[in-house]
Amino acid sequence: MTEHHRRHRRPAAFRLDDDRVTVSPVRASERDIGSAIQVVPEPDTFAVPVPVGASRDLPRRGFRWGALFWCAAGGLVLLAIALGIFDLIKDFFARNAELGWLGLALACLAALSLAVIGIRETRGLMRLANVEHLHQRAADVMATDDRDKGGLLVKDLIGLTHKMPRLARARANLQGHLGDIIDGADLVRLTERELMAPLDQEARALITASVMRVSVVTAVSSRASIDMLFVLITFFNLLRRLSYLYGVRPGTLGLVRLLRQVISHLALTGGLATSDSLIQQILGHGIAAKLSARLGEGLLNGLLTARLGLAAIDVVRPLPFAALPRPTLSDLMSETLRGRGDADEVPRLESVDISPKGD
Amino acid sequence: MFEFFEQIRLAGRAFAEFSNSLFEPTIRLGVTGLSRAGKTVFITALIHALTRGGRFPIFEALATGRIARGELAPQPDDAVPRFDYEGHVEALVNKRNWPDSTRQISELRIVIEYQSQNGYERSLTLDIVDYPGEWLLDLPLLDKSYEAWSAESLRLSHEPPRDRAAAHWHSYLATLDPSSAADEQAALAAARLFTEYLQACRDENYGMSLLPPGRFLMPGELAGSPALTFAPLEVSDEEPPPGSLWAMMRRRYDAYIDIVVRPFFRDHFARLDRQIVLVDVMAAINAGPEAVSDLDGALAAVLDCFRTGRKTFWGTLFRPQIDKILLAATKADHLHQSSHDRLEAILKMLTEPAVKKADLAGADVDVVALAAVRATREATVERRGEKLPCVIGTPVAGEIVGGEIFDGETEVALFPGDLPADPKDLFGKDGQAFRGLTTSTPQEADFRFLRVRPPVLELTDKGTPALPHIRLDRALQFLFGDKLQ
Repeated sequence: MTEHHRRHRRPAAFRLDDDRVTVSPVRASERDIGSAIQVVPEPDTFAVPVPVGASRDLPRRGFRWGALFWCAAGGLVLLAIALGIFDLIKDFFARNAELGWLGLALACLAALSLAVIGIRETRGLMRLANVEHLHQRAADVMATDDRDKGGLLVKDLIGLTHKMPRLARARANLQGHLGDIIDGADLVRLTERELMAPLDQEARALITASVMRVSVVTAVSSRASIDMLFVLITFFNLLRRLSYLYGVRPGTLGLVRLLRQVISHLALTGGLATSDSLIQQILGHGIAAKLSARLGEGLLNGLLTARLGLAAIDVVRPLPFAALPRPTLSDLMSETLRGRGDADEVPRLESVDISPKGD
Repeated sequence: MFEFFEQIRLAGRAFAEFSNSLFEPTIRLGVTGLSRAGKTVFITALIHALTRGGRFPIFEALATGRIARGELAPQPDDAVPRFDYEGHVEALVNKRNWPDSTRQISELRIVIEYQSQNGYERSLTLDIVDYPGEWLLDLPLLDKSYEAWSAESLRLSHEPPRDRAAAHWHSYLATLDPSSAADEQAALAAARLFTEYLQACRDENYGMSLLPPGRFLMPGELAGSPALTFAPLEVSDEEPPPGSLWAMMRRRYDAYIDIVVRPFFRDHFARLDRQIVLVDVMAAINAGPEAVSDLDGALAAVLDCFRTGRKTFWGTLFRPQIDKILLAATKADHLHQSSHDRLEAILKMLTEPAVKKADLAGADVDVVALAAVRATREATVERRGEKLPCVIGTPVAGEIVGGEIFDGETEVALFPGDLPADPKDLFGKDGQAFRGLTTSTPQEADFRFLRVRPPVLELTDKGTPALPHIRLDRALQFLFGDKLQ
């Protein structure tokens, strides 16, 4: 007998109306079964409906007149500016040849740097669009369970994260799994567990630190306008760090676009998030406010930052949350409250590399 | 020369159909499969899905509600009988019987009215053709001479386990001399014995698939005609002496190709846009390793007949090609879902060369384990601390397990045996393959898949209930989801 035959389990059939067979959806304890055979019907997994997610964007219909308008208007303005500069340099030359040359050189330098900035911004925007695309593709693969598309998606994700040294091991693991027979949806879940788990942890730490900073500053600052400014700056910073963390590297224009997406995402999901934690928040805030008005305000601003941070994660993360739990507001807030005296949070944050690489 | 005119004729018709399809987008969906692979059930479930609806989360157009209605329409070919959809649904739902084996070709057209993703109202016409699976195996004969076919049939019939079934015919064949004068009685006897051998091979215990010519098993209105009265002879590659038995057999073989095979290829096979190939892997595994390798050969021969390739403009005009092929291992409901991946892997192994060829030509190929109508539910059975992933169903009357004959009413939890993780293990290491019904008794077989009756369905207010399925939605999405965008 070969090894295959020893491991092979023999076929068997059990009549459900047999006396030795018990049919029960709940597994009885070992003692109760004795020598009898127990049949445990499984929930019908094929019958469970797969939710069909509505597409994130509203369907676009027909020609994009708005885009055409902005392009045409922008081109007109650019032409006007170019004409102005041309006239200016002509004036310089009319006055003095050296001055003219100097002006021309400066104009060329400005044009060159503008071109480089333009290229960078475009690439940032393209990366951002790529992440959105990945997100959509991951959702598709989860729905259709397509193995080939799942494999391609995983390869793209490995490409996206190849500049992150801390994921070296996770990437190697994933490469090893690519040859296995894994259904598309499972492949996406596996990738999420391998690649996203370390990043999620880091992102959580980033948000917690920002929340703490905002709370403390609000509690000690003297003016509300300074608070709001601080919240805004902190959030901008947080958004940038999060996007670099997940490998987006968006650039300035991209960051503005991201901000827009985060806010619209918040508007869409805000209602859902409110319902689960509103009561808790009000209660918490009430007690804190009774202790001290400033402390209460600090917590409220912290909450706002945390919520913005969570929305930002949803937008910049290349995979939707499927296998890993989505971090919740209450998680983050309790982490913040616990982490107040925790010294090791701070050095970890400093180690996040936010400098743009390679472009 | 004949081949050339045939191509011209096909191109002309393709051109005519193209101009038609400009006004009325049409897909000819080929539902192909060897006999008993579940073609009729698949087509019935497909029509039911499109006309009645149901739970099809992955078939996007239906799940999101963009399909307004699907309606049966008169088919385009007047000479072909209509597919008896209503009768088959009635048999499935009310009598809990699987539809009868297909005996002749039939056709049905469905018009799907839907709204495109941009909001335009459109319609798509779907033509589906059902035909006996045996006919499919005739297609490879198109390129074979009588002599080549004789040699191949004889070689196959001498291999175990076929040699047992062919013993009678072999002993008669030994008394025949190909160059003797043509004798009608000898031809009749040879054809009868040859047909009996083919029929024996198709039996559940042998489970053989590669059994051309197909009309011998399913003669229809041609029964007894000279075109079906021939058999292989032991002949060489030379020219037959005039007036001999050999010459007569050869003429009849050519007549068979002209009367039966070529029209079938021309009228139904060469016009397809999308193709699904249904394969009953489990019946072959039930019978034994010989049946599995036989299925391998049959699939390779069948898949070789497809004209696959990427859709191009000129191609659409003059040479329609199949741009999507789905290979489906049917009756996946006979296995617990944890084994579906292994089933897909086995089918992938069996079809690998053909898939590679289609891939190279630019066609989309996918492999899926599906059940068009799901007849079982799943359960875990605990026996002496061992957990077996089982399916619960009602075996059809007459099925036997462990000496017990079922009456068709008893529900049974079935564990069919573990499929190997590596499909190559199916043929065994050290040349030791698994045991099937061909070589051993049902008690000793390593795998037992029982035929199960259709599920009990509750009638709803909307008339006939939706049919449960496994991955039928994925199949539909692959086959024509892109045409319903």
